[in-house]
Amino acid sequence: MDVTIIAETTVDGLHPVTSQLVGAAIAIGGTPTVLCPGGIGTTAAASISGVSKVIGVKGDCFNTFDSGAWAAALNPLVSDGVIIAASAPSGREVAAQIAAMRGIPIIQDATGLEAGITVTRGIYSGKAIETSTVTAPCAITLRANAFDAAGEGGSAEVSTVNQSADVAVAVREAIAKASERLDVAEANIIISGGRGMGDPANFSHLNEIADMIGAAVGASRAAVDTWDEIPHGMQVGQTGKTVTPSLYIAVGISGAIQHLAGMRTSKYIVAINKDPDAPIFGVADYGIVATWEAALPALKEELGKL
Amino acid sequence: MDWCFPPSVGLPKIHRGGFSRQSAGDDMGIAVLLKQVPDTTAKISISGDRVDETAVSKWSMSPYDEYALEAALQLKEAGGEDIIAITCGPARAMKMLTDAAAVGADNLILIQDDGVTDSTHIQSLLAAAVKRSGADVVLCGKQAADTNGGSTGPGVSHLIGAACVGMISEVSAEGDGFIALRASPTGNERVEVSRPCLFTFDKGATELRRPNVRGIMMAKKKQIETVTPDDLGVTIGTSSVSLQSHSPPPVKPPGQKFEGADSVPEVVAKLRDEANVI
Amino acid sequence: MAYEALDFYDIDSLLTDEERMVRDMVRDWVDEKILPNIEKACHDGVFPDEWRVDLGEMGILGAPLEGYGCPGLSYIAYGLICQELERGDSGVRSFASVQGSLAMYPIWNFGSEEQKNHYLPKMTTGEWIGCFGLTEPDYGSNPGDMITRAEDKGDHYLLNGAKMWITNGTIADLAVVWAKLDGVIRGFIVEKDDPGFTAPEMTGKHSLKASVTSELVFQDCKIPKDRMLPDAKGLEGPFSCLNNARYGISWGAVGAAQSCFSSAKEYALSRIQFDHPIASFQLVQNKLAWMLREITKAQLLAYHLGKKKDEGTWIPEHISLAKMNNVDIALDIARMARDIHGANGILDEYPVMRHMANLESVKTYEGTHDIHNLILGRYITGIQAFTRES
Repeated sequence: MDVTIIAETTVDGLHPVTSQLVGAAIAIGGTPTVLCPGGIGTTAAASISGVSKVIGVKGDCFNTFDSGAWAAALNPLVSDGVIIAASAPSGREVAAQIAAMRGIPIIQDATGLEAGITVTRGIYSGKAIETSTVTAPCAITLRANAFDAAGEGGSAEVSTVNQSADVAVAVREAIAKASERLDVAEANIIISGGRGMGDPANFSHLNEIADMIGAAVGASRAAVDTWDEIPHGMQVGQTGKTVTPSLYIAVGISGAIQHLAGMRTSKYIVAINKDPDAPIFGVADYGIVATWEAALPALKEELGKL
Repeated sequence: MDWCFPPSVGLPKIHRGGFSRQSAGDDMGIAVLLKQVPDTTAKISISGDRVDETAVSKWSMSPYDEYALEAALQLKEAGGEDIIAITCGPARAMKMLTDAAAVGADNLILIQDDGVTDSTHIQSLLAAAVKRSGADVVLCGKQAADTNGGSTGPGVSHLIGAACVGMISEVSAEGDGFIALRASPTGNERVEVSRPCLFTFDKGATELRRPNVRGIMMAKKKQIETVTPDDLGVTIGTSSVSLQSHSPPPVKPPGQKFEGADSVPEVVAKLRDEANVI
Repeated sequence: MAYEALDFYDIDSLLTDEERMVRDMVRDWVDEKILPNIEKACHDGVFPDEWRVDLGEMGILGAPLEGYGCPGLSYIAYGLICQELERGDSGVRSFASVQGSLAMYPIWNFGSEEQKNHYLPKMTTGEWIGCFGLTEPDYGSNPGDMITRAEDKGDHYLLNGAKMWITNGTIADLAVVWAKLDGVIRGFIVEKDDPGFTAPEMTGKHSLKASVTSELVFQDCKIPKDRMLPDAKGLEGPFSCLNNARYGISWGAVGAAQSCFSSAKEYALSRIQFDHPIASFQLVQNKLAWMLREITKAQLLAYHLGKKKDEGTWIPEHISLAKMNNVDIALDIARMARDIHGANGILDEYPVMRHMANLESVKTYEGTHDIHNLILGRYITGIQAFTRES
């Protein structure tokens, strides 16, 4: 079965998720051709085990992100089988454009793929799982880290094609990411501190970890009431914000009922507290009985390795 | 005059076709694509192997669509163009259109889709409705809160021959075109684009405004135009996608407790492999 | 957790789309603007001006009044507005009740065309705040014997006396004041800058702390001749206003009760004791079931009364029943909810004790619980039992 993989690239080269796209394609019996937009990462792509061909698509249009232009440039090189891309901002948009160009269905953000082709994905923000079957020609985007990467040691043939399209979007100004922290109400990952942090200055450790994993920093009411430096906007709980992140890390928070009311429905809860009887351990999926002074540096180190 | 891009130099180029557009300056209208979904706080229950929609306690406008609607209202306030709110859905979605009217949407269109879920079919219907309305700028949420798909915006943009600018948080008119703020790998970037164009919204700069009593009274009088695929000239064929089942998310393993900071590597590994949250 | 209002007998299905949209608009506003800020407002003892602006912008002040820029909504819609505001806080609903039913309504019903055109448009937008001066330090349940008097001085009226327990008084731009002119109760519009008029705030309240409560003091207060309401004579005047306010309160009390019930239910389901949520204990379930029973009855009373108001088939005694019953059970529900919350119930983390304290005032104002009972007693027997005189 022909599979065209739209490689995910960054300014630094091939994004590692591309290996997972290949792994998934092979697992369902596909013969993957990898298209590299802008010709980026062709060498790395060719070394992924199982890839049959790599085509670097070079064109001026790849200097600016315009999903319509990228799709138009890539489309002539896409085969009639299955198209696989990463479920990432650019992959999703480009794949959807190609699917519309070819009049084929697209299924986004799959977390499971089996020969057939059976696609599994989360719906209703993960409150339910949908399993569907689809036949080629079709397009599927895959969620990062849901599929095993293919190995290394491949030696696919690499070719380059010049193909561009008119770009309709012009970048006027690039704006670096503002240093403002994510709001607890919107973040997918939250790390919160309680009075157990001892001093508001110690929230800097939480900030560092938050920056590493793109999390927001929250606080218990006790921390907000005790320290002026911890603003009310960070408060999670009965009289603060109610949050439902995928991951909630509670550090130095005992877990009083008022705090739980605000975060109890988080998908996964990690608690770090030196008191083994703290009520927070009653709701934690992973509870670590340790002081934050010992646990947070270890956490920072582990997260740095990911 | 057909919309076409400035030629790029020396390379084979792909022209992208579009529908013809009247001369610059005509008020063409702003189309907003809305979807009614179970409220994000509503419980989702599964019966047999299907999500039980009749058990959904509250239906709401999909959150990202709300940002799109608010942005459209601001464009209308600045430039005077009418807003055409379009949705594909069952009769209960009419309430969402009335709510949109209460904050200022002018024309309301319900496409009776008989529960079609194939992305190509939905996109065809919406694109046809947009073309029929004459709007040359379209706003929608980046993805719906139920399907979490995100294909509709880009797909419709192709079908109507419009530029697609995705994941934006702000847009304003400038001359005949627009300036939008969109996410980029390094932060944000301000981009410019001409009509026809389609914007998909991430979290917007402004929350959707509240209605007021006057808006609610006026919305009561607004007619909702109901159209069928036939009215739009769209034939819904069969789909190669077939829903097999809905199932509840996997049950979490019971809580695990670990002693000491030495357990941190183990926990992080579990967060990555067991929980898939990092 | 999004707020779910108890609606066991599905009153929602009886509402029109417009009534539901108005209710949802106010409900969302309370979630967004009141709940995050009410505890601080109570703590500081202020009614934030921003709320006045928002209420005006939503277009709900003077909800059931027609014309002069007023909303012209059904009485059911007015009731729903009060229900949702009071779910937030009785003090917020008091502001709206006073503005709409006690200050705008008398001008709308008894005022001259000039007065209506002059005052109502700016009151419905919230630009001008109104208040209602009936109660006096020594005349509460017995307003008929009030001593505030007006004298006709030819080219002006001179007012002397004092009113007490006046919501909005200190922040009001105008007051509708009831005073005796030649022994007959008439209504007068006093503006805040009229000479001889002051409105000091009453402090030290344990109830309705986010509401402004004031005295109105008239010391040779001079007001122009065109300020008397031409069509109000006798107690009929103020009582007709009170009827409208009381109607809104009967719905408001339901909102407060719903808030307490919601909090108690959620708390009972999460509070674990003896290894079980307290919601699994029989005594707690009994209390929750009692609350559900009383809220449902109160809702039906309010809804049916609203229909009678809209159809014009009501009498004041109908309103007395609903106000008295609904506030009475709401106060009991607040106390019971506090009990279910245990010690946590005394904290401002939960709304129950704030509702409890507020409802003490609501039970007393707009006709005390006992007075409404006597109104019904007179209705039933034909014999008044308010005084010892025949």
